[in-house]
Amino acid sequence: MDGRVGLRASRRAAPTPRVAVRSSPRHRARSGSGLGKENKAGSSTPLRHRPNAFSELDNATPRVMLRRIIQNQPQVSPLALQTVQLEETEDAQPEPPSQRTSSTVELQLPDLVPEDASVTTFRMTRKRKKLSISEFERAADKRLPQNQAHSTLDSTLVRSLRMSVGSVMAPDTVEKRGLLRRPQNHKAIDIAAFEGGVEQNMLQIKAQDYLVDLQTSSMTGTTTIRTDAEVVLNNTELFVEPQLGEQNLLAVEPQLSDSKTSAQRSNTSYPAHEKARLEGLVSRVSTDERRTLRFSEKDLITDHEHVDGITQKTPAKQGEEEQDHSQQNDPMEQFSESEEMAGTTQHHADAEYSEHSEKKLSRKAVSQLTAAQDAGVEMEMTPSEGGVAEGTEHQDSPKAELQMAGSPGGHSPASYSLEKPGAKPLKEAVEQTGEIERGTITGVLDAAEEEATDDESDIEDHESEEISMKTPMFVHAAAYRPQPVLSPPHPVKSASPELPPQPVRAKPVPKSSGAAQRKTREPEIASSLIKQIFSHYVKTPVTRDAYKIVEKCSERYFKQISSDLEAYSQHAGRKTVEMADVELLMRRQGLVTDKMPLHVLVERHLPLEYRKLLIPIAVSGNKVIPCK
Amino acid sequence: GSEAAGGEQRELLIQRLRAAVHYTTGCLCQDVAEDKGVLFSKQTVAAISEITFRQCENFARDLEMFARHAKRSTITSEDVKLLARRSNSLLKYITQKSDELASSNME
Repeated sequence: MDGRVGLRASRRAAPTPRVAVRSSPRHRARSGSGLGKENKAGSSTPLRHRPNAFSELDNATPRVMLRRIIQNQPQVSPLALQTVQLEETEDAQPEPPSQRTSSTVELQLPDLVPEDASVTTFRMTRKRKKLSISEFERAADKRLPQNQAHSTLDSTLVRSLRMSVGSVMAPDTVEKRGLLRRPQNHKAIDIAAFEGGVEQNMLQIKAQDYLVDLQTSSMTGTTTIRTDAEVVLNNTELFVEPQLGEQNLLAVEPQLSDSKTSAQRSNTSYPAHEKARLEGLVSRVSTDERRTLRFSEKDLITDHEHVDGITQKTPAKQGEEEQDHSQQNDPMEQFSESEEMAGTTQHHADAEYSEHSEKKLSRKAVSQLTAAQDAGVEMEMTPSEGGVAEGTEHQDSPKAELQMAGSPGGHSPASYSLEKPGAKPLKEAVEQTGEIERGTITGVLDAAEEEATDDESDIEDHESEEISMKTPMFVHAAAYRPQPVLSPPHPVKSASPELPPQPVRAKPVPKSSGAAQRKTREPEIASSLIKQIFSHYVKTPVTRDAYKIVEKCSERYFKQISSDLEAYSQHAGRKTVEMADVELLMRRQGLVTDKMPLHVLVERHLPLEYRKLLIPIAVSGNKVIPCK
Repeated sequence: GSEAAGGEQRELLIQRLRAAVHYTTGCLCQDVAEDKGVLFSKQTVAAISEITFRQCENFARDLEMFARHAKRSTITSEDVKLLARRSNSLLKYITQKSDELASSNME
């Protein structure tokens, strides 16, 4: 009795969380069990509690237990008073389960108090709840064996608690996982696929390098023209300059009727394009093993004047190639094609590479010329030669002659060396066509030598076949226009044949790119710089294609103004470009007018350092000493 | 007073020159119209003549600049060729003509 009273008093006395916890069903159950016994012994006080008391049977149901839990847990909540509930539990009656339940609830109450408190305060402090929850659960688990009969209650209690605190658990686990490293998935690496991918990458890179080299080495410095639209747009010439010597070639090479239907990408009439085409052809040859010299013959026939885009060769189409050859305007192209055919031992069906090279070719008429020259030389040699290496040797001598003539014959050896791998199989083909071509080549060579001046950009790279034809020389010569020459470095480069004639077909692509890399590139503005400046002023996203076009435009613009400046300085009888030339140009452009003097523009747009340089008077501090 | 008169004189001169250019442009357009079988509206002819007149002013200024750039005081055919550099075909044409003239002059 006293105990019970005391218990009641204690229960009523403190509406603290502890009390709340204590009043939780578990505690109540435990205490209840103890009290229950007392109840049995003593008189029950239940009148007060009777109204709230449920039937004994009902007390044992989960619903009742849950209700008790919910009602007794939070002290802060506006739920029913715990004291009342507690007393009810005390009065839990006879049936052992109910008694036990209540007693267990009561009994468990004190132990669970701290945990319940944490549970009740769940909403208040999460962290605290977490700890308490785990403790609570531990405690709950401990008690579970104690109250077998009330396992359901415990479980329900636990479950209910878990439900309420379920969300708490989640963050824990999530957090923990965040700290832990996710299991790494190491896929088994397929070596074969990997190597294949590497090779492809290499080829692509080479192709790109090759292409870049072609571009840079081209005298005109025109960018690669990749679409027909570009081709059309590029042809800004009102007059197409007549190509000398082409007629000779045409007459000489009637056989070359078919032309490789390489997609004509550039309509520029620059010889550089021809050269580029040649280079492209050369590269194509590398990829096309089957090309024969006959193709080159046909190429020779093509019209020089019409320096069209590179004809795309499909490695598998010899016949088509022939047709393509005939279509090619540039004999150099033909030559290159023949070269390619002859010398292409390069299996790499690197379509990309060949295409790239083709594009490059469009710009390099000169290279074609040299290639033709080389081919011519080789052709003569090949019949007697057994090896590609020999061919290159022969090439050296003709090259010397060519170099004398001012043509970048030097290129050919390098180019030939490139083509060497796989040249052997083509040698026979070369031999067959060699005789036919010889006649034409010699004629062409003369013409080519005269014309082939500068743009022998990276012929080395392109002149795959040693076998190549004689035509390249004259083709180049015919197509070539005087341009600033990159030739000086070429002879040096060509002097060192790179590849051993035969050996590896797989190698040609990397080799040619290596050879191409040696060549000095025409200086380009870094595309990243252009992108940066352009995007800064545009302030809206720009696609990559747009950047390319901007690059092309700026390149053309700078070419134009540099040529203008050169003309102006020449007009004044000078060899150095001076500020007067620049001012004259700006006047022509309309930037400097009578109303807008140059100094104002300088002050407006240039940084202070440049202003000091350009307008010395401004920083003279009022000390002006006139010269003379 | 005299300056104003001179200015007016100048203005009158400009008007007369403009009219002359307009007349010549009209004649040329008429020839082209007959040749190509198209019609030229009056506004078109007026626009062309005005453009021509303004371009002539530009050309004159540029030619003078070029001559001064070469430290000369006389405008020569070299200056004209430099002026025509912008258009390749025009440059070729002019060079051709000047060569013909030079050869005929020599003869």
